[in-house]
Order: sequence, then structure tokens, then C-alpha cells
Amino acid sequence: MLKLNLFLLFLVGVNAGEQINSYLIYKNVDRSIDLTSQLVKITSTITLENAGKDPIKNFLVVDEPKSDGKVVYRGVKDSAKQDLNLLPVQVDGSDNKFHKVVLRQNLEPGRTATVVLEEIIAKGLAPYPSSISQKEKQLVRYFGNHYIYTPYTVAKQKTDVVLSSRSVENYTKLKPVTQSDNTITYGPYTDIKPYTEDQLVVHFENNAPFLTVTRLERVIEISHWGNVAIEEQIEIKHTGAKLKGPFSRYDYQRDTSSSHHSIKSYTTVLPATAHSIYYRDSNGNISTSSVKHRKDWIELELRPRFPLFGGWQSSYTLGYSVPSYQYLYRTPEGQNVLSMRFIDHVFDDMFVEEATTSIVLPVGVSDVQLIVPYQVEKLQDDITYKYLDNMGRKVLRMRKNDLVEQHIQDLEITYSWQPQLLLHEPLLISLALFILFVAVIIWVRLDFSLGVPEHSKKE
Amino acid sequence: MVQAGSKKSSVSKINTKAGISSLIIFVVLLLAWIAGFSSRLFAVIRFESIIHEFDPWFNYRATAYMVKHGFYNFLNWFDERAWYPLGRIVGGTVYPGLMLTSGSIHYILHLLHINVHIRDVCVFLAPVFSGLTAISTYFLTKELWSAGAGLFAACFIAIVPGYISRSVAGSYDNEGIAIFALQFTYFLWIKSVKTGSVFWAVAASLSYFYMVSAWGGYVFIINLIPLHVFVLLLMGRYSNRLFTSYTTFYILGLIFSMQIPFVGFQPIRTSEHMAAGGVFALLFAVGVLKYMQSMMSKSEFKSLVVFGGLISAAVVFLGVVLLTYAGYVAPWSGRFYSLWDTGYAKIHIPIIASVSEHQPTTWFSFFFDLHILVATFPAGLWYTIKNINDERVFVVLYALSAVYFAGVMVRLMLTLTPVVCILSGIAFSGLLELFLREDDSSRGEDSEEEEQSTPSKRLYDKAGKVPKMKHEQSRDTDNIGPNLRSIVTVVILLLLMLFAVHCTWVTSNAYSSPSIVLASYGSDGTRQILDDFREAYFWLSQNTADDARIMSWWDYGYQIAGMANRTTLVDNNTWNNSHIALVGKAMSSNESAAYEIMTALDVDYVLVIFGGVIGYSGDDINKFLWMVRIAEGEHPKDIRESDYFTEHGEFRVDAEGSPTLLNCLMYKLSYYRFGELKLDYRSPAGFDRTRNAVIGHKDFQLTYLEEAYTTEHWLVRVYRVKKPDEFNRPRIPIANRIVKSSNYITKKNIKRKKGTIKNKPLVVKGKRLSSKQ
Amino acid sequence: MVDTARLSRYVSPVNPAVFPHLTLVLLGIGVFFTAWFFVYEVTSTKKTRSLKKELLVALVASIFSGFGVLFLLLSVGIYV
Repeated sequence: MLKLNLFLLFLVGVNAGEQINSYLIYKNVDRSIDLTSQLVKITSTITLENAGKDPIKNFLVVDEPKSDGKVVYRGVKDSAKQDLNLLPVQVDGSDNKFHKVVLRQNLEPGRTATVVLEEIIAKGLAPYPSSISQKEKQLVRYFGNHYIYTPYTVAKQKTDVVLSSRSVENYTKLKPVTQSDNTITYGPYTDIKPYTEDQLVVHFENNAPFLTVTRLERVIEISHWGNVAIEEQIEIKHTGAKLKGPFSRYDYQRDTSSSHHSIKSYTTVLPATAHSIYYRDSNGNISTSSVKHRKDWIELELRPRFPLFGGWQSSYTLGYSVPSYQYLYRTPEGQNVLSMRFIDHVFDDMFVEEATTSIVLPVGVSDVQLIVPYQVEKLQDDITYKYLDNMGRKVLRMRKNDLVEQHIQDLEITYSWQPQLLLHEPLLISLALFILFVAVIIWVRLDFSLGVPEHSKKE
Repeated sequence: MVQAGSKKSSVSKINTKAGISSLIIFVVLLLAWIAGFSSRLFAVIRFESIIHEFDPWFNYRATAYMVKHGFYNFLNWFDERAWYPLGRIVGGTVYPGLMLTSGSIHYILHLLHINVHIRDVCVFLAPVFSGLTAISTYFLTKELWSAGAGLFAACFIAIVPGYISRSVAGSYDNEGIAIFALQFTYFLWIKSVKTGSVFWAVAASLSYFYMVSAWGGYVFIINLIPLHVFVLLLMGRYSNRLFTSYTTFYILGLIFSMQIPFVGFQPIRTSEHMAAGGVFALLFAVGVLKYMQSMMSKSEFKSLVVFGGLISAAVVFLGVVLLTYAGYVAPWSGRFYSLWDTGYAKIHIPIIASVSEHQPTTWFSFFFDLHILVATFPAGLWYTIKNINDERVFVVLYALSAVYFAGVMVRLMLTLTPVVCILSGIAFSGLLELFLREDDSSRGEDSEEEEQSTPSKRLYDKAGKVPKMKHEQSRDTDNIGPNLRSIVTVVILLLLMLFAVHCTWVTSNAYSSPSIVLASYGSDGTRQILDDFREAYFWLSQNTADDARIMSWWDYGYQIAGMANRTTLVDNNTWNNSHIALVGKAMSSNESAAYEIMTALDVDYVLVIFGGVIGYSGDDINKFLWMVRIAEGEHPKDIRESDYFTEHGEFRVDAEGSPTLLNCLMYKLSYYRFGELKLDYRSPAGFDRTRNAVIGHKDFQLTYLEEAYTTEHWLVRVYRVKKPDEFNRPRIPIANRIVKSSNYITKKNIKRKKGTIKNKPLVVKGKRLSSKQ
Repeated sequence: MVDTARLSRYVSPVNPAVFPHLTLVLLGIGVFFTAWFFVYEVTSTKKTRSLKKELLVALVASIFSGFGVLFLLLSVGIYV
């Protein structure tokens, strides 16, 4: 932890004096703002042009200072769809938060390059009105920027706002703007100065599930008898418009339309090899779930005990086992490598506020190394006792806030472990049984009676 | 050398025989255990490992609390989530034996790192203890009769429905372990009476201590054992053995039983326990007399017995009466009276009478719970009476008293079942010994002789008198032909088989429903699970404020506390009748009157059970008359049972029902918006499947409450009590409202104040009205 | 990141499909020896008892039952 911090400090220190290269311009920006789900997904295809004389190695991406919601994921890809690294940097004389993107090849003067910037913003859609009755539709408002917020000059920009329905209450009309079906197209706008802001507001109907995982605790338990057990404790909350007034079962049963702001069920995707799946809560098994086997995965349709309306919450435990050969490897040096997802799919377009992942290692491991796909907060290691453990197992724990589907990435744990330790548990049981037998042997040799034994009296 | 060898071989032969018979006993008991355990698992296999019904939920919650917070915190636990606003001192009002048992099993398992959840320990506790019950029944029967009868009895008790009904997996209740404690105490008592050893008496009192810690039914032991002693004294069977065992047992048992906080000083202060003390004194008196007898002449002794006996009896009787009168000894409790007078509870304690398991037993349920045992157990009783000795007196008394109690209350079938198993075991063993032994003797006389000469025979015949009986019978039945013998044997085996089939059938169909999860079968055989209770409780636990107070009828109190973890007003520990009556009054008054009670009790939510959609008969409307009765008992001015009946004295919910019923809170909450619901095309809207009627009061609105949640099959309906500022007042234009209110506020307030103070205490409202009229 | 494609996959030393069979066989043998042990304990007297035989039977019984119990746990899904 300390090391990681030092490393970060080091990085920040080195990049303290980053300058904005005014020769770099965005020749063309094609933005698509996807508002069909509870998340705001902004995909910007940017054509960079070097108008200067020196080759350019990198460019900067900046956080919009006053935006609703939170950028929970930001990724940049180049034209070959290769991921580019993002590093947080500071720019002299600016309070904005900058991220430096290093290009794979230097951008020579006069040349252009295309990159795709993907941003995912959570809580960017605010229900308005914030509380509705059971029969009303859910309306949300999106506050954004007509222009891409950037330290560079933009030569030309076009924005598509994709909505989930045609019914739009209201939207800002900065010309040229057209609405067709469920898409609003802004632009093209030309010659936009750096840091230009102009509020874009769209007020529209969105009945997509506004479901937030407020807390996710994932436990991965390795058994070298060939199994990896996964258990997730999940707390979910409907974060859309709050339910105002009564809930009527009668109206709910009569309303059979598929698009409703309440959430009846959702689908979780599990690995294809998952078996012994269970879905329960503190009161026992939740009988309303169905498993569908697809070719490459398992679809689990989960129905909470009750439909979720705005402001309602629920919690459950989902567990399953997967065979070890899919996730556990052996290096030629005899080390074991577990390669497993930090979090897994809960539902489409999910947003996880807080996730804690624990990995329960087998008994007697050493040289544990952990490689994480993104920065996580490492928590204190723990010791746990599972069935028949007298020595205890090491538990690695880590935490991260604000995760979305893009964070479903593998983490890797390398550790050394003696295969002889497999015999530890059976020998333990055998020993216990043997002690029991010996106790019987001793017991039959003892005579507790105070008086003279009956048979000897007769004799 | 040769001699030594032959001796050795004969010894080993004897040992092999003893070994084989003990192996058979072991195997049979093991199989009985396994069979008993597995036949109790229907609910777990069909549904899941879950706590059943009502009381087990409290026991489970208390156990979980104890496991989490430790034993001493459990004893000091003040549960502020029950009986709002009174709370409940849990540690002092429970029998902690059950929680301690499962808590210590959980503790030991976790010491061994077998990480079993406490819920699973609780679920499987009763089935495991049923095996222990079978074993202690075996020992008890062996002491009373023979090992063979013991094995029969053990097998019977392992699968008999009368006991399974209280000990299926998930039925985590006191009775589950108490029957084991009961049987084991009786075994140790018999053993101590037979041997007269202090050791067995101490063991008996320890086992009695466990029983006291586990179940209120310990009163049965502490009255039955003195009764046994008393009857033995009457029969002139006084002995030093009896004296030693009873005095040891009584003193130790008394001291031990007072260690349980809930029992406290009851053993010396209530009438239920006085008989034991009286017999204790009597035993001493008899002991003294016996001693004096050896010193005095016959006539002197006779007059001493007459006068001394009369005087001491009078003194003791007067003493008890005086103590009772002065309040040192509590008189019989109401529950106790209801055991003698079956009509007592109905008149005086409607709460007791409202529980279905407190109803008198029907003949049908005797057969249902015991099957052929009900027919064979008199035979066993006859066998024991014919060959009476000290310990058999006990089983006779046990049988007679248990039969009486089982007749009074369905619930006490449970205490009858073990003795029925014992006596039926004796009967079957007697029958089979009679009919199978003939085979042996016809095969060869010497085999029987050899068997008798073996020391292993002692294992079977500790009672001493049994071999004689067998010989008598074998002489009598010499002329029974082999055909008859085989026919009888086959018939007996068939009966036993039928019994096993019946037991399994009853267990599977009648006693294995968790009752919080319901299952219905479609026409094509598919099973549909109705999980409405957990749906509603989980909704409460997730979507209401942590300190929300939920009003429901007391049946659901424990479940709400256990599954929803919310504060309840009343629950299944029905210790405060007036509080329950208040809830009953709220449920049976009209909405505005109920609202006053609900605001006084700080109620946030009201929960009702409504079975009209799926035809569930145990819902609140069907229980409603009991609410009315209990409310009437405390508030006779406001609630009258007769108001809820039609003119013809019928309780009906359709258009002809009484207007009081159709406007009471329970009716409205159950049927709110039900009048619009059409269940299927054949029946009209608002057709109640449980009562097969179209409801009488349809389109009504709720003023003071609003629907907060209704489960998928409408089984549980939760309503939120509105705050005073949320009522749907009649619409008045805003301008008018302001003007009027500013004018009237002062006057109204003054009026109101005057009115409430002056009129209420006098209750002359009615008079004034009548005089005006 | 380690390139997992180059590594060999870890497979259980015992195929999980045979867990139930192993359970049956091992527990069967274990129960047989346990029964033998108890029968021997009950039927033999102080004079005829031999410690060596008792210990041997106990050892065999405990080892077989121990492994049997382990595979029982594994086959019901409790992966220790």
C-alpha cells in the first residue's frame, strides 16, 4: 500500500509541469451520448491533428469541472483498437484534473490520428420529478455540455444523443439540431475554443432499470481438490424516481406493459462451467430464479422477492462453483496462478458503488503476489477458518468504489503451495477417528464400578 | 490343558452370543435413529433448511442472539423489539435449555472448524434428538420389561407421527428436546427405584434439571414421580430403595430446578409443585412409622397411625391452604384449570382457547397420530398390570395420566406418545415371544434350555418375572398349530408394515409443511411455491425504517421479529392479555376508532394475512372472532361479539354480513381493492375463495391508512398508518380554508378542551342525548 | 500480467466425477472395519483381547473412514 502510494506520488511529481500543446487541434469530433440506460456513455471519436512543427507524443484529456454524476470509467483506444494508457497529471495554472494519454506512435507534424475516447458517467441522469406514483412514467433529465470539454481547439464537432424512447419532454435547441426517432443530433459546430461550456439539457422518458449495487462482497475460495467457489453478497437499490403514495398490487397485476419503472427481474451472466448455483437471502432460499444454459455462458434470471420500486432496496447472496481448470494454472516453476475477475457481471449496465473482493487461499500458501488490473485499495489480510481448517487460510482483501461493466477484468494471484498439503484434511479426520478408537480401547480396559463386579460375585 | 482349552472356547462362545445380541441391539437402535432422522427430513428435501411455523422462529432468534452475544448477555437480554412499548425480558422468560443445547453444539462444531450455520444446527436439532429419544425409550422399556420390547418401543417412537409432529427438521421447539429429557429422566428414575442407589437418583435429578431448563412440561414429571411414590406407598410397597431415590431426587431436583431464571421460586411457591413436597413429607412420615413399628406393639401402633396420620394430614392441608390464602403459595394457574375443565379456557381465557392445539382431542387424531399403537397399547398395559412390580406401577400411572391429558388437549398427545410406544413395544414383544418361541421349542427342547442357561439371558430378563410368564404362556399355547402361528406372525408383520406406511404417509402429508412456505400443485402436477410470507417479511426488513412498529395479530409476532427484524406490538408469548386485547380492539373497531388506538401505540405499519385469493384458510378473517372475543374480554363497552354476527347468528362477509363487521378495520384491510379483482372468468369480481362468497362491502377507500405492500398472491398485506397531516380531507378552496381556520381555531380549541374534560369522565353523553330526544 | 496461455491448467488430482464412487468404496471399507473393531471390543474379554490387533483394525478403519468422509464432503460440494 505504502509502496503504491509512493509510486503514485512519484508519478505525480514527475508530471507536475505538464504543458498544453496549443499546436494540437481536434480536427473532427464525433460524439455519441448514449442515454438509454441508467449510465451515461459518451463515446467520442477524435481526429487529432498536429499543426505544429514538432512531433507530438501525447495529449491531455480533462475532467469537466461542474458536471452532474461522476466519471467512473474512461478509456482511450487508438485506431487499431489498442488500449492507450491514461495517467493522471497536473497542468500548471489550472485546477482541472488532467489525464495524459501517451500515443503509441508520435504524431508527426501535419499528420492526423484517430482515437476513441470512451467515458462512462454514473448518476448523470436525475429523475425529474424525483418522486412519481405507481402509474406514472419515469422521466429523467440529463445535464451535459453541447461541446466537448477539452483544452484544445476543436475544428468541427457533431453530437448524437441517443435516448431510450421517443417521448422527449424538452431539450436545449442549440442550432443546428434535429430530432429523429430517439436520436437528437447537435451540430456540426465549428471552431470551438478550448474549455467552451454550454449546457445541454434533455428531459425525456427513461424506463430502463435504475438499479444500483450499493454494496457487493465477493469471496473467491480456492480448493485444490479442483474447485473454485464464488459467493457474492449483493445489496441493490432502485435509484430512479422514488415511489410516491401507495403501492397497489391490484394495479401492478393489471399493468402488463413491459416498460415500467419498477424492476421485476434482471439477468446475471455466469461462466458456462458454473454449477451448484444458489440464490438466497437472510430468510432462506429465493425460489424465483431460472437458469438458462447458453453456449458460452449461463444466464441466470433473478427475481427479487418483491418488485423494486423507486427507493426500495433488497439484498441477496448468489453463489456458485466453477472447476479449477478454468481459472487456476501452474507455472513451470511450480507456482500456482489464479486468474479471476475482480468483479463479475450482476446485470447489464450495472453500477457498483462499493465492491470488496476477498480471495481465500488454500491452507499453507507462501510467496503470495497480487496483480490487479486497475488501482484498488488493498485491505488488511485476514485469516479465516473453513471446514476442518486447524491452521487457517490467508485471505487477501481489496476494495474499490464505483465500478461498471468495463471493470470486469481479471486479477492475478501467484502463490507457492505444496501439493502434499492436500492430504492434510483427510489425515486430520483419520487422526480424530483414530483417537476415538484409542479412547474406546482405553475405556474398555477401565473398570469404574465401585463394588465387586456381578459376574465375579457369581463365580 | 484340555480343560483350559474347553473353558476358553465356552467363554468365547458365550461372549460371541452376548456380542451378537448387543450388536443386534446396536444395529437396530442405529437403524431406528437413521430411520427417524431421515423420515423427519421431508420438509428439508421438499423445501429447504428453514425454521418452521411460529414459536420456532423465536427460539431461533434467541439462539442466534445467544451465539452472537454470549450466554450471559442472553440471560440479561431485554428485547425492546417485542411488546412495544413494554418490551420483554427474554432471559427471564424463556426455558433456555433449547438455546443452550444448540448453542453448545454450534460451539463445539466451530471448535472443530466445522463451520455450520446456527440455523442448520437449529433445523436438524429435533431429528437428531429423536434418535436420542429412541435410545432412552429403549433403555426405559428394557428396565420395565425386556430388551426386545425396548427395541420395539425404540423403533415405534422413532417413526410415530405423534412425536414426529413436533420434531420434524425445522420445527425447532422445546418439545423436540424435552421428550428426550422426559424419557431419559423416567429411565433414570426407574433405574434408581430399582437399585435404590444415590448415583441413579442424582443422575435422574440432573436429567430432570435439563428437562426443567427445556420445557414447561417438566411439571408433568414433578407430579408423576411423586404420584408413583404415593401409589407405591398406598400399595404397601414402601422400601428403603424408594426412600433413598425419592428423597435424593426431590431435594436435588428442587434445588436444580430453581436455578432456571424463568422457574425461580415457583417450585416452592405454586400449587402445581406442592404435591411433590407433600409426598416428600409423607415418605418421611411413613419411614418414621415403619421405624416405630419395629419398636411398638400392634395396637399402640394402630392408634398412632390413625391419630398421628389424621393430625399430620390436617396440619399439612391447613398449612398449604393458609399459605395459599396468605399469598405465599400461588393458587392453580388458569392453564392448569383448563386441564381439568375443558370448558374453562373458553370462558375465562380466550387466548388459550384460540390456539387450535389447545382444543380437546378428537378420536380421529388418536388414530391418526398413533395408528395401530392405539389398539395395542391397552394390551401392553394389561400385560404390565398382570405382572406388576414397583417400576411397572410407574408406567401404568404414566399411561393413565397421559391418556387423560391427551384427551384434554391436542398438544399433549406428545406426552402420551412415548408411553404408548413403550406399552405397544411390550405388547408386540409379548405377542411375538409367544408365537415365535413356539417355533424354537418345536424345533428342539435343548436349544431353549441352552439359551436359558446362558448368562446372556440376563440381558433380556432383568425384570425377573418375565420368564415365568413365558413358561405359563408356552404351556397354555402348546396346542396352537404351526399354521395359526405363522398366520398370526404374518398378520403382526403386516400390521407393523401398515404402521410404517401410515407413519411415513402422515409425516409426509401432514407434518412436513414449514407453513411459512406454501406449495400448491397444478393440474399437470407441477409444483408452485407460494413464498408470500417471506416476501412480505423481507420487504419489511428492507424497506421500512429500522425502528418501525408493526401491528399484527399475535400469531405473526415471532415471525415478524425473526424474519423482518422489526418491532412488534404483540407476539406468540401471550403474556399480556390486555395488550393483545388492545390490538384486537383496534382490528375490530372502525377505521377512525382504530386510528386513535394506533396513534396511541405509535403504530407505523399494519400487517394482515388474507387468504381470499388463493383459498388459504388460516387467515385473519377466519381468526377474527377470536380477536373480537379477546377484545370484548377487556373492553366490553366498545366491542360486542354479537355485533359481528348477522341477525341469524351467522358470521358472514358477504352483503348480508353485519354492518359492524363490514366496516371494521380488519375487514377493510383484508378486502381493500379486492372488490375489483376478478380471479377467473367464472366467478364475479370480489369472490373470496376461502369463504366462498362475494364480499359485501366493495368500493371503499381508506382514510387513515394506505397500502404499502401486498404480496404476489395477496396473502400478506401491509398498510402504512398515515401521519395526521396526510389525511384526505374534504377539498375546501384554499382561500376559504384560511379564513375559516383563522376564525375558528381559538373557539374550537376552547370547545374541545372543555368538552373532553367535562364530558368524558362522566360518560353522560348518551344520557344527555336521550334526554334531548 | 502473466500470459496464461503458456501455463498448464491446474486439474484436481482426483477426477471430481469419481468422488461419489470413492466415497462409497472407502466409507464401505471404513464402516466394515469400524464394525469389526466394535464387535471385537464387545465380544472379547480382558484375557482374549490383543492390543496389537485392536490398534491395527482401528488404524485401518480410521484411515479408510477418514478418506471416505473427505470424499463424502467433496462429493456433496463442501470443498475443503
